[in-house]
Amino acid sequence: MKKEKKKRTEYYFDYSLLFIVLFLVGFGLMMIYSVSSYEAYTKYGSESFFLVKQLIAVGIGLVGMAVVTFVPYKWYEKLYGWGYVISFGLLALVPIIGIESHGVKRWLPLPGGQQFQPAELAKIAVILFCATMICKMGKGARKLGGNLILLLASGAMALGVYLLTSNLSSAIIVLGIGVVMIFVENRNYSVFIILAVIGIAAVVAFVMYMKNVGMDDGLSWRFERIVAWLDPEAHSQGKGFQTVQALYAIGSGGIWGKGLGQSMQKLGFIPEAQNDMIFSVICEELGLFGGILIIVLFLILLWRMVIIAINAQDMFGSQLVIGVAAQIAIQVILNIAVVTNTIPNTGISLPFISYGGTSVIFLLLEIGVVMSVARSIKLVE
Amino acid sequence: MSSLRNTMVHRKKMFFFIWACTALFIGLVARLGYLMLVQGEYYSQKATQLHERERNIKASRGLILDRNGTVLAGNISVCTISVIHNQITNPDEVVQVLSKELGMSADSIRKSVEKYTSIERIKSNVDKETGDRIRAYDLDGVKVDEDYKRYYPYGELASKVLGFTGADNQGIIGLEVKYDEYLQGQPGQILTMTDARGIEYSLAGERRDEPEAGSNLYTTLDINIQSYATQLAYSAMESKEAESVSIIVMNPQNGEIYAMTSVPEYNPNEPFTLPEELNDLTGEARQDALNQMWRNGCVNDTYEPGSTFKVITGAAGLEEGVVTRETGFSCPGFIIVEDRKIKCHKVGGHGSLTFEGATMASCNPSYINVGLRLGIERYYDYFEQFGLFNKTGIDLPGEAGTIMHKEENMGLVELACVSFGQSFQITPIQLLTTISSIINGGTRITPHLGNYIADASGAATQKLVFPEASGIVSEETSKIMREMLEKVVSEGGGGNGKVEGFSVGGKTATSQTLPRGTGRYISSFVGFAPADDPQVIAIAIVNNPKGLYYGGLVAAPIIRQLYENILPYLGVEGI
Repeated sequence: MKKEKKKRTEYYFDYSLLFIVLFLVGFGLMMIYSVSSYEAYTKYGSESFFLVKQLIAVGIGLVGMAVVTFVPYKWYEKLYGWGYVISFGLLALVPIIGIESHGVKRWLPLPGGQQFQPAELAKIAVILFCATMICKMGKGARKLGGNLILLLASGAMALGVYLLTSNLSSAIIVLGIGVVMIFVENRNYSVFIILAVIGIAAVVAFVMYMKNVGMDDGLSWRFERIVAWLDPEAHSQGKGFQTVQALYAIGSGGIWGKGLGQSMQKLGFIPEAQNDMIFSVICEELGLFGGILIIVLFLILLWRMVIIAINAQDMFGSQLVIGVAAQIAIQVILNIAVVTNTIPNTGISLPFISYGGTSVIFLLLEIGVVMSVARSIKLVE
Repeated sequence: MSSLRNTMVHRKKMFFFIWACTALFIGLVARLGYLMLVQGEYYSQKATQLHERERNIKASRGLILDRNGTVLAGNISVCTISVIHNQITNPDEVVQVLSKELGMSADSIRKSVEKYTSIERIKSNVDKETGDRIRAYDLDGVKVDEDYKRYYPYGELASKVLGFTGADNQGIIGLEVKYDEYLQGQPGQILTMTDARGIEYSLAGERRDEPEAGSNLYTTLDINIQSYATQLAYSAMESKEAESVSIIVMNPQNGEIYAMTSVPEYNPNEPFTLPEELNDLTGEARQDALNQMWRNGCVNDTYEPGSTFKVITGAAGLEEGVVTRETGFSCPGFIIVEDRKIKCHKVGGHGSLTFEGATMASCNPSYINVGLRLGIERYYDYFEQFGLFNKTGIDLPGEAGTIMHKEENMGLVELACVSFGQSFQITPIQLLTTISSIINGGTRITPHLGNYIADASGAATQKLVFPEASGIVSEETSKIMREMLEKVVSEGGGGNGKVEGFSVGGKTATSQTLPRGTGRYISSFVGFAPADDPQVIAIAIVNNPKGLYYGGLVAAPIIRQLYENILPYLGVEGI
């Protein structure tokens, strides 16, 4: 019996992880249709304008995920250097041939009128680069020099994302992925705790300072966002507009929500609600219940990934999974924090759910990698 | 390399990471719960305010009717024509039809049609037939909204009492503003949900609060008496070339006003149209002229009452017992009070006469004597007791107060002047009310026009009650005053107020206006009938008549003519 079982379950397949991801993606498509259909109809004459575009991206992503799941993840080890260089190169192309939208250049043109956001590739490149380097350096990775190399690699990429595509949010995520991976690989706690305390103290001091600064004091737009964050309703016609509209949506949801499709705030009040602010409409239509459900699903997803990372066959697989988990965790936390006005407004999409083709394709590919790592886990040794 | 295994440290770190994430997620859930449960009410209210657009539906304003149910102020249906740019499919046709039907220039309509606004009003107060015709064209983007406009079927009649309404059907002056809360009704609303561009979101449906029509106001006015009084006032104004003529007709027992006019009246259907000769005025001067035109002289203006006020002095004297009917006086044609010589209107003097005789002859020195016998303090007390310091409380806005010497500033000369109705000012309604209270047995009544409030079907919902105070003079004094005033008309200076077949009491007055010596007079007459149990009292005040100016000659005949008609009409018992 035991031998038979061992043979049958020679490798592990994480169905719950797959199920959660599929649910989130499907839920995302439903919400994108609900949220965007009115705007899509009034602007483009088709209720499913955004849905169809997202559906195509999800299709590509799912096929990609399936393929990647069955590709041994160890193969990627060799790609780390090229991946990093190519990713950086694509970022460098953005200022030259990038497509401008909403006043910033963040996208590269693809054949067939499609667009591609290199910042999404940068995230995966940093995960691969750090994971490979940690394994390459072995015990050296735990020393100061090794840590600095990892920090420099992710920091340089983050800087590239920020400077070349003027995308602070993605830069924060790239750097955050690096920091989480360094933290996990490292034996040290105290340094990180000290750094965290200093960081929090600096933020608190900065906020106290900003409270005394008015909107008219000639601030750059990033600072204006912080002033608007502190009192969004006072700036509801300016920088606080999107935030206030999101709060109206969240606040009108109640416990059970208005019902799917019943959001009023999506009728043009929240600009491009299908993007970064989609969580606010989820709360309006499905209430506190729906909001918590999504948060819990993300948490279970992360727990699954950490379990996979802990049980991974090798350090490389473990680090890859932690990198992906770090990316998803950071994006979910920052996105919901922005939507609930817990932190200043910055454009971060909600993984799997927000509208955005590049993002969902790369996330699904990353999940493919995670499942590939999971597949390598031997259930019984 | 890749075969490096995870160490215990790595596992602990990973758990640290996932627990940190879990903690942050819990924090976000708490934040979300706070926003949705604690702050939810606030935000959802704000959101609803943002989404709902309200269109008001005007409530139809309550009617104002006379005591017999004749409508004095009603409503007519009018239409407001507007265009909605987005919905217009054939702009040329819209311009052509509207310019033809509304008699407006095609250019100005085209400008509105091409204006990119949500809704653009072309013309309001369009009569209903035109509105119906435009609606019949069934043009896309043209809206014909029904609306009400105040309409006064009798035009000028009682305009100064009724007042008029503004663009939103709100009362501006007169009864319209005094009883606005009853008349106005409750406007309804159409609440629609809109998207961010303000376009109605049909899926959300609309909420409709139906308007509630205003209540009807039944007044104490009698349209027949009002018409006749107005007619008489106009003819007196013309024949005497007077500046203005005021007439009030009232029930002295309860203060119900049958008629109140102060000619020239104005047309409340077009309250902002000045008489032609003033039409060139602009700005502040124009506004002043309009205010002047709307003023109700009976209530809003004060004047020196003159000899009619002797009724008050006489009543005070009788009440205090300083005189009786038979008390003898002697009039040499003047009286010297302190250093001042005050003349009687009869240059040679009335000689010796009783108090009754002095009343009939309206002898100034005798009445000054009565005042002096009372003294400043007691006279002042009576002034107060009769309610002359207070406003009458009539249900019309802007009642003027009494302008009287302060007690401490009053000397004997002032007292003497006040005794025969000079050197202070009261409103005509105040004089009429006070005299009513003296002759009705001593009950201070509140003059009023509001009778009861009724719903649309005419059923009374609220009787309007006005305060009364009894015992301001004794029944005995009241009786003597009635009898003496009857003699004024039947045998004395008020002979022109005599009405065949009826016993009428009354008093005339001729007062010079300030400043003195300009030859400007106010002639007035107060008369009541029947003299022994007054059912009706009336005052006529002729402002600055040309030629003869004695009240007995100018004002008394007005009341006589009035009474000749209305006494039988009111069913007042004859002799």
